Amino acid sequence: MNRRVSILLLALLAAAGAGFAADPLPSAESILDRYVQVTGGKQAYEKRKTEIAHGTVEFPALGIKGSMTRYAAQPDKYYYTVEIAAIGKMETGVNGAVAWENSAILGPRLKSGVERAEAIREGNMNATVNWRKLYPKVENAGIELIDGEECFKIIMTPDEGQPVIGYYQKKSGLQVKLSTVASTQMGDIPVEMIASEYKNFGGILEPAKVTQKAGPQEFTMTLDRVEVNPMIPPETFALPDEVRKLVDKAAAK
Amino acid sequence: MLARRLITVFAAALSAFGQARTQLDVESFEKVWSTVRDKHWQVKPGGLDWQAIHDEYRPRVEKASSRDEARAVIQEMIGRLGQSHFAIIPATVYSVLDDEAEGPGTTGIDARVLDGHAVVTSVDPGSPAEKQGVRPGWQIERTHGIDLEPLIKQARSNPAIHELQLTRAVLARLSGPVGGTLDAAFLDASGMTVNVTLGLTMPRGTLSAFGNLPAQYVWFESQRMGQTEYIRFNLFLDLPRVMASFQQAVESCKTCDGLIIDLRGNPGGIGGMAMGMAGFLVDKPNQRLGTMYLRDSTLKFVVNPRANVFFGPVAVLVDGCSASTSEIFAGGLKDLGRARVFGTRTAAAALPSAFERLPNGDGFQYAVANYISEGGQPLEGLGVTPDLVVELTRPALLAGHDAVVDAAMSWIRSQKKP
Repeated sequence: MNRRVSILLLALLAAAGAGFAADPLPSAESILDRYVQVTGGKQAYEKRKTEIAHGTVEFPALGIKGSMTRYAAQPDKYYYTVEIAAIGKMETGVNGAVAWENSAILGPRLKSGVERAEAIREGNMNATVNWRKLYPKVENAGIELIDGEECFKIIMTPDEGQPVIGYYQKKSGLQVKLSTVASTQMGDIPVEMIASEYKNFGGILEPAKVTQKAGPQEFTMTLDRVEVNPMIPPETFALPDEVRKLVDKAAAK
Repeated sequence: MLARRLITVFAAALSAFGQARTQLDVESFEKVWSTVRDKHWQVKPGGLDWQAIHDEYRPRVEKASSRDEARAVIQEMIGRLGQSHFAIIPATVYSVLDDEAEGPGTTGIDARVLDGHAVVTSVDPGSPAEKQGVRPGWQIERTHGIDLEPLIKQARSNPAIHELQLTRAVLARLSGPVGGTLDAAFLDASGMTVNVTLGLTMPRGTLSAFGNLPAQYVWFESQRMGQTEYIRFNLFLDLPRVMASFQQAVESCKTCDGLIIDLRGNPGGIGGMAMGMAGFLVDKPNQRLGTMYLRDSTLKFVVNPRANVFFGPVAVLVDGCSASTSEIFAGGLKDLGRARVFGTRTAAAALPSAFERLPNGDGFQYAVANYISEGGQPLEGLGVTPDLVVELTRPALLAGHDAVVDAAMSWIRSQKKP
């Protein structure tokens, strides 16, 4: 679930430079670069070494709401936790080449294959300026109307995993929609995210509200505040005991 | 002259009634047709041209001369899907299934319909029923002055009504406001009628809320029966507490000779909990309990093996009131060869199949997804058939035996390595 939040953020950050031409279709590269520019610029992103983001997650149809906290550190450390009273705690993390998740409902597990590759991309805090590494192929597939606004449809294809399609407003340069097919343990799930209410969080514009439809579920994530360059203890990104036991168990086999 | 005018008015009134009935039946037809169109798990329901089906059947509903005829036409239409769990239930039958309790107050009695009679299957310790001497095996004749047998007979006359609904309707008649009383008549072991007034107390368990769903009382129990751990809980809800209790119970019996998980009467809850609990029993990675097919996605119910897995024999107990997540859990573990299932066939309601009242008062049952257990069998409409069918009987209950638990215990003992 929360992985897709990161996909969005990854794509939101994935760009560098400017250079936008109206006609003919601008290159995908220029759209992505413009996005970085309009959300704060390459320098602003590069200055951010660590962050802690705080917000809420809400499933309106179910009437369930909880808190979320996202810890990230350059270059590739990521820990995300969601706590919902009726469900318990859900955690997911990336530490270098290890991607994992743990929840009260399903228990701990290590991610593998495409799912792991996707998680590692999401865990890359430098995705903003590294998008060329993360998505070797990008393509401008044309213009589509999203909520009456013309948007460029940019298809970003990674080495491993499904393409991610971002929709960037022609007028503002902001990404307003993202769709992909997420590889999850339960199967490939179509995911669609709508980003809105961009706000300046420590020098970078981020969508304060993201509504996501993943398979049969729809939920909304609201970003309340972001701590920029806080000191994050290394153990925050360490594997939880339950996950460590699985690693040890696999090694013993 | 006056008489003629009266007859004319009467005839007009009858005609108006006929038109109103037809209109309600047409509205009901549209409701059924559009629900299938919008909510069926296949974009082309049953592989049919659903619009053509509409055009074929609507004129027949419009021309139907009675509600029975209109209902038969609608039933025929959904029958074309060739799928279970799509049914029209006549208003007269639907009304007796009213399972709306008048309050949360309970007597402490659990009951099932056995051989056409409502029978007490268990009595909570310390409950008003126990204090009044009510015992398992007693037949419930009357509650609130109303005989239960006609209700049971009428409900059973419709094949679309399964045990789960019938049991809920019976249990609703054993409830009321907390602090109130319930007059009930039983047949005891000797066949004598026993009239008692039972107090109604708070239900067992902890009130647990899950979003918009009404808060429900959730209980979990585990106990050691000899060398076997016995686990029972009434709902797959109150996730943090029930999952933690389950984990604790399983991990506490590393040296047990077996594990009994009693899901009788458990109507399900959060589907993911089936996968989570199975993780304590399945050691091999990438095992699935089954696959759910929705209109826009396919969800594999994958099990994550835990670090500490129980390797001994596992018996899962089910009955016609084990539904949804209970069926996913029992059916999946059975198909994986990880559990032996005892009891009677489950409710065959693994999915969020729903009941809605139609404009003409009839009930409409429909399923919105398909779930295929790992063995390739759809649970919806078929349910989980136990490895060993064991039915509760009144004589055994009166003798103090739970035949299903006895069978599971006997099997676990037989698995003991010499």
